[in-house]
Amino acid sequence: MKQLTATSMWMRLICTVLVITSVACDLPRDSDGTLNRIRGGTMRVGVVVDTPWTTDSAGVVGGIEGTMVERLARQLNARVTWMHGQQDVLLTALQNRDLDLVIGGLGASSPWSKQVAFTMPYDVDTVRVPGGRKPIETQHVIAAAPGENAWLMRVERMLIEERPKVAEQLRQGNP
Amino acid sequence: MSIGETFSYPEEQRQLRQRAKKLSWLSIVLLLSAGTLLLYALGQSEAMKTAWVSDVLTAIPPMALLAAMRVELRDRSPRFPYGYTRSISVAFLVTSGVLSLVGLYLFYDSVAKLVKQQRPPIGMTEMFGHHFWSGWLMIGALSYSLICGLLLGLLKKPVAKRLSDKALSAEATMNRDEWMSEGAAIVGILLVGYGHWWGDALAAAFISLEIVHDGWMNMRLVLGDLMDETPTKMGKPEMEDITDKVRSRVEKIGKVARAGVRLREHGRAVTGEIFVVPRDGTNVLDLVRDVSREAKGIDWRLHDITVMPVHDLENATPPRVSSS
Repeated sequence: MKQLTATSMWMRLICTVLVITSVACDLPRDSDGTLNRIRGGTMRVGVVVDTPWTTDSAGVVGGIEGTMVERLARQLNARVTWMHGQQDVLLTALQNRDLDLVIGGLGASSPWSKQVAFTMPYDVDTVRVPGGRKPIETQHVIAAAPGENAWLMRVERMLIEERPKVAEQLRQGNP
Repeated sequence: MSIGETFSYPEEQRQLRQRAKKLSWLSIVLLLSAGTLLLYALGQSEAMKTAWVSDVLTAIPPMALLAAMRVELRDRSPRFPYGYTRSISVAFLVTSGVLSLVGLYLFYDSVAKLVKQQRPPIGMTEMFGHHFWSGWLMIGALSYSLICGLLLGLLKKPVAKRLSDKALSAEATMNRDEWMSEGAAIVGILLVGYGHWWGDALAAAFISLEIVHDGWMNMRLVLGDLMDETPTKMGKPEMEDITDKVRSRVEKIGKVARAGVRLREHGRAVTGEIFVVPRDGTNVLDLVRDVSREAKGIDWRLHDITVMPVHDLENATPPRVSSS
C-alpha cells in the first residue's frame, strides 16, 4: 500500500509538471540560442551545389533551397554568410555548430541524419537508375545544427509555407 | 509416493491460472500498442528509444509465460520423466538474460552520447493539418505507456501472490516500475525542450539502468531455482517455513520416530524428499503411504515428493536439511 501512495504521488507530480509546461508553451528552446542570435544578425549557411536544389551563378546562391533560405533570412531580418564546400566538411561544421544550416539536395535517408538535425521533408521525388531494379525515392530535407530545436522548428515552419511554391516550381520547367 | 502423477492445480488455483493467462494476453496487447505509439513518436531522442526498447522488452515475459504455461501441465514422458513444471523457470532464464544484456547495451549507448555531446534534434510534427513540437507527441505516447504499465502491475500483483508465482510477481513489479522509465523519459524530453540537451541522454542512462536492474532481479530468482534453493518467500530472499511445516506434520504421525525434509521449487510446484526413521516394528510400506498422503494435504504446491525410509537420519541426510 505504501508503494501505491508513493506511485500516485509521483503521478500527481508528473501531471503538475505537464500542466505547468503546457501553460509555458514556448517550448522548445535552443540549447545555444541560435534563433535569437540569427534574428537581426547573421545566418551561417553551408552550400553544396546540386542543381536544381542549389545553384551557384557567379557567387550568387540560388536554386530551390537557396531561394528558400534567402526568404527565411528576409523574414528574420538576417544577413546570410554563405560557405561553399564539400558535403562532409560542411556537415561536420554543422555538427560542431559552426554553421546554422547546410543545403544541397540532402535526402532524409542520409546517414548524416544521426549527427545533424534534418528538417521534415519539403518535397519527395523519385529517380530511376537506367536499367535499375528499383526506383529510388528521395525525401528532400535541409540540415540544421543539432540541439537547436527552436531554430529547427522555425526552419520547418518556413518549409511548410514554401512547400506549395516548391511543388509549383518543380512542375514548371525544372527537371 | 506419487511418482506417476502429473502436476495439477486445485480449483481456486486453476481459475487464478486462467486469470494469469488472460492478464498475459492483455499485457502483450497493451505493451505492444504502447510500443507502436512510441515507435511512431520516436524521433531522434535517445530517451524515447530506450523507453521504447524497455516497453517492448517487458512484453517478452508474458509471451514466455504463455509459452511455458502451454507445456507446464504436460504429461511426463520417457524423455522428461520429471514432468514439465520447470518450464516456467526456463521462460524466466530467457527473459532475465535478454533484459540484462539489452540494458547494458543501452546504458553504453546513452553514456556514449553524453560523452560525445550529441545533441538530440526534436523538431516539428505534422498531424491532421496541425503543426506542433514533436516533444508533445512523445510525452503523450510516454504517458499512455506509463498508464498501461501501472495498470498491468496493479492487476497482476494479487494474482501472482495467490498463485505463489514468482515469475508473474516479478513481472508485475517490472510493469509497475515502468512508470519510472516513462517518467524519466518525459522529464528528459522536457529538459531538451528547455534547451538542456543532456537531459535526453541522462534520462536514457537512467532508464537503461532500470532495465539492467529488472534483468538482475529476474536472474537472481532463476539462479536460485537452478541451484535448487529452498522455497523462498515471494519477492524476498528469506526462506519459507514450508520445510519445517512438512517436517513437523510428518513427525506427528505415530509411526515416525524422526523426519528430515528438503524441498525445492519447480516453477510453481514444490518438490523434494522426506526422509523418515520408522519406529521399531512398523510396516515400512504402510508408513511411506501414510507420509505421502499427509504431505499432499499440507500445501497444494507439494508435488512429486519422494518418501525415503532410513535407519538413521544423520547419515542419510544432506547438511541443508531442516531437522533440528
